[in-house]
Amino acid sequence: MDGMFSQLSVLGSSLVLIFGLILLWRRGVTAYIAAFRWQSIVLALVTAIVAYFAADHELYWVAGALLLLKGVVIPGLLKRMERRFPAERELDPYVNTATSLVVAGLLVLFGYAITRPLVALSQLPTRAGMPLAMGLVLVSLFVVISRKKALTQVVGFLMLENGLALLAILGTYGIPLIVELGVFLDVLMGFLVMQIFIYQIHETFESIDVEQLNHLRH
Amino acid sequence: MRAYVLQVTQATLALLLAPGLVGLIRWMKARLQNRRGAPMWQPYAELRKLFQKEVIVSSNASWVFRAAPFLVFSSTVAVTLLVPILAVPLPFDRVGDLLVVVYLLLLGTFFLALAGLDVGSPFGGMGASREMTVAALAEPAIALAIFALALSAGSTNLGQIVARTLAHPGTALSPGHLLAFGALFVVTLAETGRLPIDNPATHLELTMIHEAMVLEYSGRYLALIEWAAATKLLIFFSLLGNLFIPWGVAVALTPATVAIAVFSLLAKFIVLAGTVAVLETRIAKLRLFRVPELLSVSFLLGLLAVTSSFLLR
Repeated sequence: MDGMFSQLSVLGSSLVLIFGLILLWRRGVTAYIAAFRWQSIVLALVTAIVAYFAADHELYWVAGALLLLKGVVIPGLLKRMERRFPAERELDPYVNTATSLVVAGLLVLFGYAITRPLVALSQLPTRAGMPLAMGLVLVSLFVVISRKKALTQVVGFLMLENGLALLAILGTYGIPLIVELGVFLDVLMGFLVMQIFIYQIHETFESIDVEQLNHLRH
Repeated sequence: MRAYVLQVTQATLALLLAPGLVGLIRWMKARLQNRRGAPMWQPYAELRKLFQKEVIVSSNASWVFRAAPFLVFSSTVAVTLLVPILAVPLPFDRVGDLLVVVYLLLLGTFFLALAGLDVGSPFGGMGASREMTVAALAEPAIALAIFALALSAGSTNLGQIVARTLAHPGTALSPGHLLAFGALFVVTLAETGRLPIDNPATHLELTMIHEAMVLEYSGRYLALIEWAAATKLLIFFSLLGNLFIPWGVAVALTPATVAIAVFSLLAKFIVLAGTVAVLETRIAKLRLFRVPELLSVSFLLGLLAVTSSFLLR
């Protein structure tokens, strides 16, 4: 029973990480949004699996909220944003694809290295997935700093949040529902604020390329 | 004795089925694209025709050009003796493990590239240089995918990997195995010249890789090369099917288990061929400069597979 639980949770975490890595290989905003949507759906599934095996009913609500907010609402808003900037579909990163894939591999290894004490300390059957969640956190940070378009940075940030949520679920079977709801509200608010920022950047520069922000100094 | 008979039967079966497998993919692709398509046995007819045709060799060609088809074909035949296609453990398991299999296949690729360079035609050289680029990039990915399997089985012996997965069915769903499957699948497409990397359906285009190398061949030489290429596809398919989903492979050598093995093998081939056909219908060929990116995706999958099999052992 525990073996199967651990197997399923690791499998789910690997999928969540893979959807994060897809960002590094695909170009184009549509692919980014789809990857984020699928990642959130898998994350909700992992939460539901933990809820089932740990017999924690509150986690079902968390899974439902995850599915609704990150699987439906935010991807929908992202889609709307994408439609407003039709010229910005092609994304050019600072680091080329092959290099960023290798860097991502190293980051995941680094994630394994730094979560080693955490995994050794934990007794939960889900502990084996924690390095993958940490890997996702690091990879999404890398996405945020290596992409030029503001929209992709937002997707990177949202994936970072997914990574943290996964880490919390695997490490402690989730935080109390009330805190979780607060986090969701924060994510939604943060996302809306970033959306306004992006519209403003677009107003000022007619582009959402963040390199343009350098012109502000002059 | 019985095991040796089975070994030879397996190799013969592989050689006989290989053109049919290529024909099956072509037929499925044609149906998916709303064409009637050539029948599945078309490649057999093509091979027969080529074997009867006269061989024409360029006057610039050296012995490498004449020897290459035989080397390519015989190295592929040697591999069919080592890979668990129908049963484990095979008596030849002692001779070679996964690494030998991969490098025997690469030996064939190497001689094919040499032959492409040998005649000095521009297409041959171009194809050879591209093939070597792809092979050099695919190689680390194959090695990592293999190490992931070898780590979880504790051995690079193919028979032991299969036996270990059969004994612990849960490992077939472990992330290490799934990621390694993804890595090996991409490499299979690259090594056998399937669609996102090379288009098997076209001749005389600037983007071709495999076809450019073998452009100078004719008659029975071409037949041997085509047959070897089809067999290579079958070998990669049986690696994918039998190493990762080993159910159906005969463990005891009774007529019943061997019959089950043959049927499960055919079922796996049909599923894999269907996957490749759907994939080739849905996606376009990648630009040559994006091929290294795809192969580094495969490398990354392999790396993650190794990490997770190593750390979750």
